[in-house]
Amino acid sequence: MSGQGLEQLVKMVNQISANMHGATDEQAAEKVATHLQKFWARSMKAQILAYADDGGEDLTPISRQAVEKLREVRAAG
Amino acid sequence: MLNYYDPRKDAFSRDLGTPARLSEQQVALTIDGLEISVPEGTSVMRAAALAGITIPKLCATDNLEAFGSCRLCAVQIEGRRGYPASCTTPVAEGMAVTTQNGKLAKLRRNIMELYISDHPLDCLTCPANGDCELQDMAGAVGLREVRYGFEGANHLDAPTDDSNPYFSFDASKCIVCSRCVRACEEVQGTFALTIDGRGFDSKVAAGQDEDFMDSECVSCGACVQACPTSTLMEKSVIDQGVPEHSVVTTCAYCGVGCSFKAEMKGDQLVRMVPYKGGDANHGHSCVKGRFAFGYATHKDRIKTPMIRDSIDEPWREVSWEEAIQFSARRLKEIQARYGRESIGGITSSRCTNEETYLVQKLIRAAFGNNNTDTCARVCHSPTGFGLKTTLGESAGTQTFDSVMKADTILVIGANPTDAHPVFGSQMRRRLRQGATLIVADPRRIDLLKTPHGGRMLHLPLRPGTNVALINSLAHVVVSEGLEDQAFIDARCESGAYQAWRAFILEERNSPEALEAVTGVPADKVREAARAYAEVHNGAIYYGLGVTEHSQGSTMVMGIANLAMATGNIGREGVGVNPLRGQNNVQGSCDMGSFPHELPGYQHVADPAVRDRFEAVWKVKIDDEPGLRIPNMFDSAIAGTFKALYVQGEDIAQSDPNTQHVQAALTSLDCLIVQDIFLNETAKYAHVLLPGSTFLEKNGTFTNAERRINRVRKVMPPVAGKEDWEVTQDLANALGYPMNYSHPSEIMDEIALLTPTFTGVSYAKLEEHGSIQWPCNESHPDGTPTMHEVDFPIGKGHFAVTEYVPTEERTTRRFPLLLTTGRILSQYNVGAQTRRTANSQWHDEDVLEIHPSDAELRGIRDGDWLGVSSRVGHTVLRCRISDRMQPGVVYTTFHHPGSGANVITTDSSDWATNCPEYKVTAVQVEKVSQPSQWQQHFQDFDRRQKDYLENAGADATVNEPAPMGK
Ligand code: SF4
Ligand code: SF4
Ligand code: SF4
Ligand code: FES
Repeated sequence: MSGQGLEQLVKMVNQISANMHGATDEQAAEKVATHLQKFWARSMKAQILAYADDGGEDLTPISRQAVEKLREVRAAG
Repeated sequence: MLNYYDPRKDAFSRDLGTPARLSEQQVALTIDGLEISVPEGTSVMRAAALAGITIPKLCATDNLEAFGSCRLCAVQIEGRRGYPASCTTPVAEGMAVTTQNGKLAKLRRNIMELYISDHPLDCLTCPANGDCELQDMAGAVGLREVRYGFEGANHLDAPTDDSNPYFSFDASKCIVCSRCVRACEEVQGTFALTIDGRGFDSKVAAGQDEDFMDSECVSCGACVQACPTSTLMEKSVIDQGVPEHSVVTTCAYCGVGCSFKAEMKGDQLVRMVPYKGGDANHGHSCVKGRFAFGYATHKDRIKTPMIRDSIDEPWREVSWEEAIQFSARRLKEIQARYGRESIGGITSSRCTNEETYLVQKLIRAAFGNNNTDTCARVCHSPTGFGLKTTLGESAGTQTFDSVMKADTILVIGANPTDAHPVFGSQMRRRLRQGATLIVADPRRIDLLKTPHGGRMLHLPLRPGTNVALINSLAHVVVSEGLEDQAFIDARCESGAYQAWRAFILEERNSPEALEAVTGVPADKVREAARAYAEVHNGAIYYGLGVTEHSQGSTMVMGIANLAMATGNIGREGVGVNPLRGQNNVQGSCDMGSFPHELPGYQHVADPAVRDRFEAVWKVKIDDEPGLRIPNMFDSAIAGTFKALYVQGEDIAQSDPNTQHVQAALTSLDCLIVQDIFLNETAKYAHVLLPGSTFLEKNGTFTNAERRINRVRKVMPPVAGKEDWEVTQDLANALGYPMNYSHPSEIMDEIALLTPTFTGVSYAKLEEHGSIQWPCNESHPDGTPTMHEVDFPIGKGHFAVTEYVPTEERTTRRFPLLLTTGRILSQYNVGAQTRRTANSQWHDEDVLEIHPSDAELRGIRDGDWLGVSSRVGHTVLRCRISDRMQPGVVYTTFHHPGSGANVITTDSSDWATNCPEYKVTAVQVEKVSQPSQWQQHFQDFDRRQKDYLENAGADATVNEPAPMGK
């Protein structure tokens, strides 16, 4: 996907992170990861994982954790 | 197959004279010797009608309170003197009534004689001939001579008011029964009509004795329906004559889902009359449903399938077979080249449940992916998400009638009198009975101007601050001890509640702390919170002003929290009620249009769910969600998404950031559009498949109260196929067999696979008229009120709703906030209503701006205004209005050329990507010419229309490859 599409995905995860709340950051990231797993298309998940692999510099800290958790969920699933 | 439901055979076809009374107390009496027992308060006239005895009448009708002016309904009552009017006399225990004898007959004949002596005797050429109550009564009372001539003073040359495009007012035929006046007050709630003058001089007047078009009249037609003579008459009946048969069906214009009798002459629709037996509308309607049906026979209808290789070529008319084969071949080629996930489809919130179900099935089964979405994405997807998270079901909790038991009505981000007019009228009826109204909306909506309403509070919040406002309302409820602790303890999950309570009690959520954010004075917020929480029944209604925000889903959850905290869930008079925009938004969501959910909101990742569907569909279903509409656009621009099948939606006009959408559509290798007109999206299409209107097909719509209503075919589809048949053909051409012969079979499959629909069938709909889902073993007759005993998730879930300001903020460059909405006479993108006389009320989209913002910019009413946001620029005409607060401007998006969505951005709800239509930072300035986008639009529009007009004439298009499966 082009830069623009990716930029959009990063914006989306960060927005989800800003709106998901938990007692700890860990919990919040957990919720964000569940949300991504539940609502995002396969191709979108693949892109955001690849982006995180490349450093994922525009991801907020919670988004970064969430994407890592998403990776675990997908490896387990 | 035409599937008639003949309303003449049912109880609702009789006029019982006066409205029903609901008392549990029964009163027994005799009428002409017949014994009957009726609820206390019933009129003698209605009791007689129920006993099968018809008393002559003129001024009474059973949807209006009796008035007692004509005296034709006189009866004799044992032990009482004189001849009381049966319509205004309530029954009493042991009463003995006589409805017919010599004296009464003479009295009635005398009355009729007086009426007729001032009435033109041109019955044979009168448009109401055969459908006139005055005529009927003259016959019923046996009027044989008229002793008074026309030489005295009379009204025979009173003028006709033809100003309204749909009905005329011929004052010479008026008998001053005041039914029209009462209909406008009681049924519609507009109070546009009065009886002017007294005695002989009295006459019906609209507004301040103006033409109907210049008065407050909203053209709902209630007065026309109530008029017993041809004084107020549909122009279509004047032109075409009185209809001869009728079929009950459902309006396709909004989420109220009004039932109508389509009154026909052969296969010609003469008029639509709202059906008294309709549970959503009880015989009322608005201007769209009743009058704006002419688009169905408009010359612009697409009548033949068309194809072309590129959008820079003219269209070529082809057979259905050829168009379907062409589409299937293109789709298969694209999948072979770019992969299974490179194609997708969009279902429609205007089409039937059965059609929507079939499109998503086509995508999941024949395309082999979950790339299905619906335009509900752009309006109510946050409702689905928010309500499912908190209450466990993605739907409103009440019936419309429930509002008649509400003590306080809280309306948030909705404009019912314009967008849901019939329900708006019902709300007004409740407000006239004294219920309190609270409106949370940046605009001062018309509901706040309800004549004779009770207490009204307006919370004019800044666009984009909904969550802050709902949090501060909840803060007041909790901190002032207004919670319903018993409800919370019994019905809600305790841990989540405690967490929410601690959060909401924080000082930063108090109305005082948030005043600076919302712009609403703290004491007003406190007053509103009390007005909602302190009464027995508080009901919340909300619309797109809640969902179309970056925190749309959060706001929906905030609303559910507030209702749970005050125990306003699970009985009549309360609840959380999304007002749906298009007619079948609820249905299109229910039917599995979203990429992550199969029908009935069942997640695609759940293996048990997939097993059941796979067993019936006989195909493997992808276990990952597919792309949503905005993701489809992004992927199209990126080059990974190549083909799209769109049924009955106009994404090029209705979706935000038009230029982005246009870029996406232009990137597609194959766009298949199925629609009734060459809509904006179709101008980018390679295949154009003619759609059918709601008048041309069988099916069901589901309204905002979860009510499944039947849509019945009254005329054959112009291009020969109902929409579901086209989808079926496409599936077969792609090699996935579908063999339905009637939509009822599709509904049977839906019932088989959807736990909330297991009890639904066409047979049951025929029997009950309509059904509110869930309808299954535990609720065999449907569920008018949800969550009475428990929630589908067991306990209600309070969600913490942190306010996160939108990134769409005003800046020096874009100092104003634009918010969008709709108006009464137009529907959505306007493709239908613009092709009717409704355009006389709204012929262009205008920009409303507050006088102080206008003055600052030297703008005057009627000026051309350039409106720019960070994504685009368009030009609209100015209307100065103080319905908005300073700093906020407003427009509608009913006309494509105005390009309102050229300015709206791709900001969206965090959870569902529902676009943030309600907040865009803009600048406004005076200009002298259309924007560049508009000029481009006009050129492109002209070219595409030429391609359509010259369709078939151009031989330069390549012959498609030979047919064959
Ligand atoms: S059309 Fe409706 S609003 Fe207009 S006068 Fe008649 S009842 Fe009133
Ligand atoms: S216009 Fe019709 S309904 Fe109104 S007063 Fe005259 S006759 Fe009655
Ligand atoms: S548009 Fe809505 S309110 Fe008007 S008639 Fe149709 S369903 Fe009823
Ligand atoms: S019908 Fe009873 S007074 Fe007119």
